[in-house]
Amino acid sequence: MSFDAPTIDYAGLSPVIALTVGLVVIVLAAVFDSVRRFGPALALLTYAVTAGCLIWQWNANLDLVSGSLRIDGLAVTLSLLAVIAAAVAVLLAIGDPSETQAGRSDWLALLTGSLLGMVILAQATSMLTFFVGLELLSIPLYALCGTNLRRRESLESGLKYLIVGSVGSATLLYGLAMIYGASGATGFQAISDGLQAGDGMLSDSLTLVGVGMVAVGLAFKVSIAPFHQWTPDVYQGAPTPVTAFMAVATKAAAFAVFIRFFLVALGPLADQWDVMLAALAALSIVVGNVGALAQTSLKRMLGYSGVAQAGYMLAGIVTATQAGVDALVFYLAAYVAMNVAAFAVVVIRERQNGFSDDISTLRGLGREKPLLAWPLTIAMLALAGLPPTAGFIGKLYLIEALVDDDWTWLAVMIAIGTMISLGYYLRVVATLWMSPAGQAEAGAEIDTASLPPQIAGAQADPFEDSRADRRWYLVAPALIATAAALFFGVIPQPLVDFAQHAGDALSVWIS
Amino acid sequence: MLHQYLPVLVFAALGILVGGAFATLNLVLGPKRLKGDESSAAIRQMDPYECGLPSEISKTFRFGVSFYLVAMLFILFDIEVVFLYPVGAILKSTDSVFVLAEVVLFVALLFVALIYVWRKGALDWR
Repeated sequence: MSFDAPTIDYAGLSPVIALTVGLVVIVLAAVFDSVRRFGPALALLTYAVTAGCLIWQWNANLDLVSGSLRIDGLAVTLSLLAVIAAAVAVLLAIGDPSETQAGRSDWLALLTGSLLGMVILAQATSMLTFFVGLELLSIPLYALCGTNLRRRESLESGLKYLIVGSVGSATLLYGLAMIYGASGATGFQAISDGLQAGDGMLSDSLTLVGVGMVAVGLAFKVSIAPFHQWTPDVYQGAPTPVTAFMAVATKAAAFAVFIRFFLVALGPLADQWDVMLAALAALSIVVGNVGALAQTSLKRMLGYSGVAQAGYMLAGIVTATQAGVDALVFYLAAYVAMNVAAFAVVVIRERQNGFSDDISTLRGLGREKPLLAWPLTIAMLALAGLPPTAGFIGKLYLIEALVDDDWTWLAVMIAIGTMISLGYYLRVVATLWMSPAGQAEAGAEIDTASLPPQIAGAQADPFEDSRADRRWYLVAPALIATAAALFFGVIPQPLVDFAQHAGDALSVWIS
Repeated sequence: MLHQYLPVLVFAALGILVGGAFATLNLVLGPKRLKGDESSAAIRQMDPYECGLPSEISKTFRFGVSFYLVAMLFILFDIEVVFLYPVGAILKSTDSVFVLAEVVLFVALLFVALIYVWRKGALDWR
């Protein structure tokens, strides 16, 4: 016997390998009592090593595993965003009831599994890795949403996400099967070649239905209207650290494959599907922004705002140009900073008032605790797209890319959406700074009779942590993310370079 | 192009035919319930399929969680083991330690899952 291994590029696979090894260690840590309390440290170490591998492979541009994965600028940048979001979720979850009830390392293992799916998804260049990555991303997330076992809303959100997510996955899989039927290939490049030889999707119903179903399936994942109905409910019911992770990291990974599939595999049809995506983007902007106006729950409002933001980002794909991809990745990076800042404050406030995320609980926070009020204020202004924040620059780049590619009406939609969004973002800012303190409503009453029975090993009833605003692992993410949102608003060049690195990876396929 | 899908139609037709035949033949050929015998076993015999469990379940029917858990774990590990067969078939012809190392790695990952399931008490019947 000899040891003839096929040529495997272990360096290119290193981010995936690092995460897998970390996942195994965290799973084992979950079952041995002596190491269980090191769970968060192990998770953070895993993410740090993964981030290190991703930065090490920064300039890589090669196919892995017979062309099923590809590590390039797009994969590296968007995986990094997902890793950052996961690290923040680990910090925000320390001491959270969801994490203690699900078993600390079990929770972290689910998070790491989901992150592994995202990293695979960002690199996927074949339908198989595409679908496997998407499911690996989704299934742990369904469980994570329901980890707050003593809250009915959490269990409900897990079930809701599972059902809606499964419908999305099934639609996507059906669409992929049709595109395989039309192009006779599973690799993205081979699909592109196969479709190039055909006569376009408008005369070939198989391709048309396939492209439509894939778009619907992905729209479910990134919560594009009209496939967004689950978003507010799930965002509100899920434990807030999970919501923060889901809002940010899922979008980064799903948009990575959205970009790759539509611009590489379906690239030859770009001038046929762009109208479809433009309509979805416009609808998303309107539905998300109008829906958010009437919300009183902060997490629900951020859910609707996420729908609108997904609409803005989708506009970057509509252009099918490198400038559009650059703008999308820039906006995603800014979105990570803005959302982390907002959700970190929500986590702190929730812990202080018995898990109520009603906007009225923020009254007078500006005078009482400016250290909490400023991050939320800047996050709201950045999400609304006001200068001098990264949100403003991001919108500017998106609009510029759209206008350059003759999509002026969609750029106008973004501007109109921004104006509507001021209505609800500024309401939060006004509540923070302009209403008298001390009238926060009592936290939602928890009906102990209706709670499901405790599972073995679960502990901790709903609790209050009045010192939550002094815990470094909660405050630091808020402050760092706020600083990033401001810094990249004033000096955007580093983030522009970051985004262009993603766009350059696609220079072979798009102009 | 569409005639390639003819086998699908044939398959669907066969499925309906065979399924329908089994369901109706049972009514025609199967033993009839004796007059006046109202025992549940006699009622059960009227079902198209006899599998020990009632084939029609009311919506309040409760399913044992332990059974569900064990069944799910069985499916997980069962499916994983299927992946070992193709490797076994080619191991001799490849004559490579690498293939063996890959299999060991795969089984090791499964073993981690087994340790997790075991230590969490999911294998205890409750």
